[in-house]
Amino acid sequence: MTLAELKRGQQAIITDVSSIHIPLKLLEMGCLPGNSVELVQVAPFADPMYLNINGSHLAIRKETAIHIIIETVHE
Amino acid sequence: MSKQINVALIGNPNTGKTSVFNALTGLNQKVGNYPGITVEKKEGICKLPRGVKAHIIDLPGTYSLNASSLDENVVIELLLNKNGKDYPDLAVVVSDVENLKRNLLLFTQIKDLEIPTILVINMSDRMAYKGITLDIAYLEKELKTKIALISTRKNKGISELKELLTHYKEISAEPCLNASEIDTSYFNNLRKAFPNQLLYKLWLVITQDVNFGKTDRKTYDAVEDFKTKSKADLKRLQQKETIKRYQFINETLKKGQTIDLKSAKDLRIKLDRILTHKVWGYLIFAVILLTIFQAIYDWSSVPMDFIDSSFAALSEWVKVTLPEGAFTNLLAEGIISGLGGIVIFIPQIAFLFLFISILEESGYMSRVVFLMDRIMRRFGLSGKSVVPLISGTACAIPAIMATRNIESWKERLITILVTPFTTCSARLPVYLIIIALVIPEGRVLGLSYQALTLMLLYLIGFGAAVGSAWILHKIMGQKSKSFFVVEMPNYKLPLLKNVALTVLEKTKAFVFGAGKIILAISIVLWFLASYGPGDNFNNAENIVTEKYASQNLSEDELNQKIESQKLEHSYIGIAGHAIEPAIRPLGYDWKIGIAIVSSFAAREVFVGTLATIYSVGSDEEETIKNRMAGEVNPILGGPLFNFASGISLLLFYAFAMQCMSTLAIVKKETNSWKWPLYQLVIMSGFAYLVALVAYQVLI
Amino acid sequence: MNTIIQNILVYIAVGAAVLFLVKKYVLPMKKKSTKACGGDDGCGCH
Repeated sequence: MTLAELKRGQQAIITDVSSIHIPLKLLEMGCLPGNSVELVQVAPFADPMYLNINGSHLAIRKETAIHIIIETVHE
Repeated sequence: MSKQINVALIGNPNTGKTSVFNALTGLNQKVGNYPGITVEKKEGICKLPRGVKAHIIDLPGTYSLNASSLDENVVIELLLNKNGKDYPDLAVVVSDVENLKRNLLLFTQIKDLEIPTILVINMSDRMAYKGITLDIAYLEKELKTKIALISTRKNKGISELKELLTHYKEISAEPCLNASEIDTSYFNNLRKAFPNQLLYKLWLVITQDVNFGKTDRKTYDAVEDFKTKSKADLKRLQQKETIKRYQFINETLKKGQTIDLKSAKDLRIKLDRILTHKVWGYLIFAVILLTIFQAIYDWSSVPMDFIDSSFAALSEWVKVTLPEGAFTNLLAEGIISGLGGIVIFIPQIAFLFLFISILEESGYMSRVVFLMDRIMRRFGLSGKSVVPLISGTACAIPAIMATRNIESWKERLITILVTPFTTCSARLPVYLIIIALVIPEGRVLGLSYQALTLMLLYLIGFGAAVGSAWILHKIMGQKSKSFFVVEMPNYKLPLLKNVALTVLEKTKAFVFGAGKIILAISIVLWFLASYGPGDNFNNAENIVTEKYASQNLSEDELNQKIESQKLEHSYIGIAGHAIEPAIRPLGYDWKIGIAIVSSFAAREVFVGTLATIYSVGSDEEETIKNRMAGEVNPILGGPLFNFASGISLLLFYAFAMQCMSTLAIVKKETNSWKWPLYQLVIMSGFAYLVALVAYQVLI
Repeated sequence: MNTIIQNILVYIAVGAAVLFLVKKYVLPMKKKSTKACGGDDGCGCH
């Protein structure tokens, strides 16, 4: 599934990012395969998304989130 | 002579880099621009032990050396230009103890440039709170650097940092990882083509779209087998590089840092549950804005009244004390009222920057960006446009410069074009004096009518900005690809020192920047109002005495008539009468016309101009406001500043493009005269129309 | 005598003010239009 489908409070691991669609800046902030991601908060219409990626707290738009592939973590 | 070394402060945004800068330099700092561009350049001097002086440059915050904005280009250009006068002898990378992993990415990049580098780990006072422990000795060894563990908030570790700076010669310049391993054959080719160059530096030049000294670029392009990779391939390599850097960092931190999650507390998540909430978030934002406007209005009215009356008294005192003559008049009527017109803005500008810097320092501004992005996008703007639109309430110039971190060019252009609609502080004095004249006193729900009117004007400005953005968005069409990444930093209690320095610096910039212009214009205006051509002006006394000879006027009344005869036939009077037909339908007389024309240089000139024009015509010590209230409409009778003309004037100033400096900055940022010209014509034309309709409906 | 000195001071002040304004607004514009910021200078546009 993609990051855009993540629910609030859910934890996941990034498995793949399509580097053509993702700005380098986001990669540098820790949005890389293998790192953990959690959805902290969503604005109205679930866009933008406020994420905790690998300890970095950042907000990205849904249109960017659909290019990030994740796997949810069950605890 | 004492020795001086160049030190560059580098770091991610929100790491407290500026606090470190302030702690090192104190008041020994100056803010300028990098040559040719409008990126703010902060530099200062720090005295070190043993007679060494450090010239410290606070570089714009950046997440990496892969630049995506003009501000970030500055960092790379400075670090790559070995012959530049600011090329650092020593780099200081400032990091935040809570985001060490991400901050170290930039650190490893700087190290690869083989510049001696110190790592500052800031906010160390939060380590216990977050359950973090660090093995400094291990980290220093692995990262091949010296580490200063400091807390600018608690004022700890600064002297240790200074000590490290003094021993700058002992700092290692060795890189800490070998980035060229990401594609060995490619980098081997590179090395063959440019044997004398640093590999990582070459790599940066290839991958960046920025202007490194032009000659540099040409020599690289000249070599044939240099560009062997497509853009997509390069990007893949950059991703690989990033992953490799993180591998190194993760391994280093695995041993060098332990985080006890059990003892970690996160205030940020708790606060954000409310502050970025779908409903509460917006409500809180609205309440904060409302409070700010009420505060600006209430708190600054006392010092402003005081300044206004002091300058009136000073002007009167000069007139009485100095020998009579033309220069005394210039001093009393031109220069002192001109100065008064500058000083009177200081309280509001200071308050406004106080609030803006608190919002930014505390980290709340990022939440506003998050909350507003979806709404702003509908109008072709970005959530990041909110910051320019809010700082536009101080001044459009820094606001337009603040658009640089908007990733999409279309969103950025629209933001630049509509930002001048927001109510800048230069409009404030115009609004305040007209509101005081035409809006009745009294309160509703504890808020004064006057404050509400002011708030409404801010909303109108904001609405005009957003509305015109929507129109531009529709006209420009085509959805350009846009990226949006915004960091949500931890909440911090704003540091008094940082806030105070920002307020001081911005106020100073206003007083000495805009102030000089206002003063010069006041002097010229006084001259134009005090001298005139022909008989009607030079013989005013005789003409008036003859004209009213039969009416038996008192001496005072006669003098008044003479002064107004003179003013009407002065250079300015003639010019004013020439444009009067154009502004008469808006409810203005020729005096207001002059004030409007002169405020095309800068809006804040309006009040000063009226003050100058009116003080030329009267003898008594009076405040500007009283003089304006006493003006009579020459055709309809009754006060000139009534409800209709007042509202019309307020609306005209809300929409008109009257700031040469803003036009200049728009030209600079968009690299064309087309956009500032559009702004000038469309905004001012619209302002005229709205003011016309308002006056005709209300009268 | 006094009036003459006062008048001279006035003209100096007004002259200085005009000079300042001209320098601030008229000259930079001319400079900019002849030495345009365009080309490959990378003024921040795409």
